Amino acid sequence: MTRNSRRLMAVLVGAAATLMLGCSSLKTPATADVAVSKAAVDNAAGAGAAQYAPVELMAARDKLALANKAMSVKDYKLARDMAAQAQADAKLAQSKANSAKAQAAADAVQDDIRVLREELERNL
Amino acid sequence: MKHLYLTPVVLALATLLAACGSSPKSTSLLEQAHSDYRIAQSNPNVGRYAPLELKQAGDALAQADALATERASSEKIDQLAYLARQKIALTEEVAKQKMAETDVRNAGQERNQVRLDQRTNEANAANIRAEQARQVALLAINDAAQSQADTDRARQQTQAAQMDAANAQQRATQLEAQLGELSAKKTARGMVITLGDVLFGTDLSRLTSDGEASAKKLAKILELNPQRTVLIEGFADSTGTAEYNQQLSVRRAMAVQTALQTLGVGRERVVIRGYGESYPVAANDSAQNRQMNRRVEIVLSDEAGRTIAR
Repeated sequence: MTRNSRRLMAVLVGAAATLMLGCSSLKTPATADVAVSKAAVDNAAGAGAAQYAPVELMAARDKLALANKAMSVKDYKLARDMAAQAQADAKLAQSKANSAKAQAAADAVQDDIRVLREELERNL
Repeated sequence: MKHLYLTPVVLALATLLAACGSSPKSTSLLEQAHSDYRIAQSNPNVGRYAPLELKQAGDALAQADALATERASSEKIDQLAYLARQKIALTEEVAKQKMAETDVRNAGQERNQVRLDQRTNEANAANIRAEQARQVALLAINDAAQSQADTDRARQQTQAAQMDAANAQQRATQLEAQLGELSAKKTARGMVITLGDVLFGTDLSRLTSDGEASAKKLAKILELNPQRTVLIEGFADSTGTAEYNQQLSVRRAMAVQTALQTLGVGRERVVIRGYGESYPVAANDSAQNRQMNRRVEIVLSDEAGRTIAR
């Protein structure tokens, strides 16, 4: 009885451990995180981040590569972390690109106004 | 005895543990994230243009802080602190973008205003040009009217001159007719009227009635030609002394002058000369010829009142 119960206990503990491991890996495959990060990097590149925020975009790409590498060795925690950092970097890169472009547009309009005003002065 | 020793040691250990447990663990990255967050919070543009992003960054920072309070591993804390930092940086970029976009909108309005000013100026300039053109046209019209008036005036002057010429011609014709009645002769010195001896009375200082008639005709001519004057020259024949003849010739001339004065001709228009027996018109060898030499010649001046003396 004591031996049986001890064996049963071991089996139960082993099952629970396996379940927990399985569950945790099922619950966090990190695949979705990596996909979202890749989309964020693509968006940033499409917004002109390579031109306006090359450092952030490069960091995002490096981290995305690390996340993919971690996925291939089933290190899901590292993959998730790298994906999250890559996403944050990519979003910042995109935002920098957007603000730089908006600033350029504002400068262009101001330049336009300056030229118009000069013309106005000349015509007076 | 043993217990007395142990108590303070246990207490000290407990205090140490409690202190360590209550104070949150921190990393340099988390501290930087806090510093960045304070800067972002104090930026009014972030609060105005990126409030949502600021809240998300604050939440991310709170998660990192929670791990620090739980005294999780530095790695875990830094992972969340890094994400928080990137989100904080994002707030500033979003704020910059929104500000620039606002600038573009405002500047667009300003640009439209300037363009409007520009068009207004162009319209004004066009108006000014049109006004100038109108003035030039007016000036041209005035010039044309002026030259027309000049032409008219010139034509009137021509007409007046023609009329004057016609009048002068008429007067000359009249004068010629009147002088014809006085049997005036045209000479190099002008028209010359000769009054013969028979026209003077016996005292030689008065005119006979025929002489008076001639004087009246002459006075009439002078009245009609007020710009003309006369030179009256008296002559004598060679009978008697030259001195006597001289005085006689002056008296004859004076007789005519007196007669003209009586008829209203001003003295200033009559000049007299006595030439005695000089300038005979015939040889003094017969009574008839001597009579011809006893005479008065009246020289009529030109239109300007000039006479030519001998």
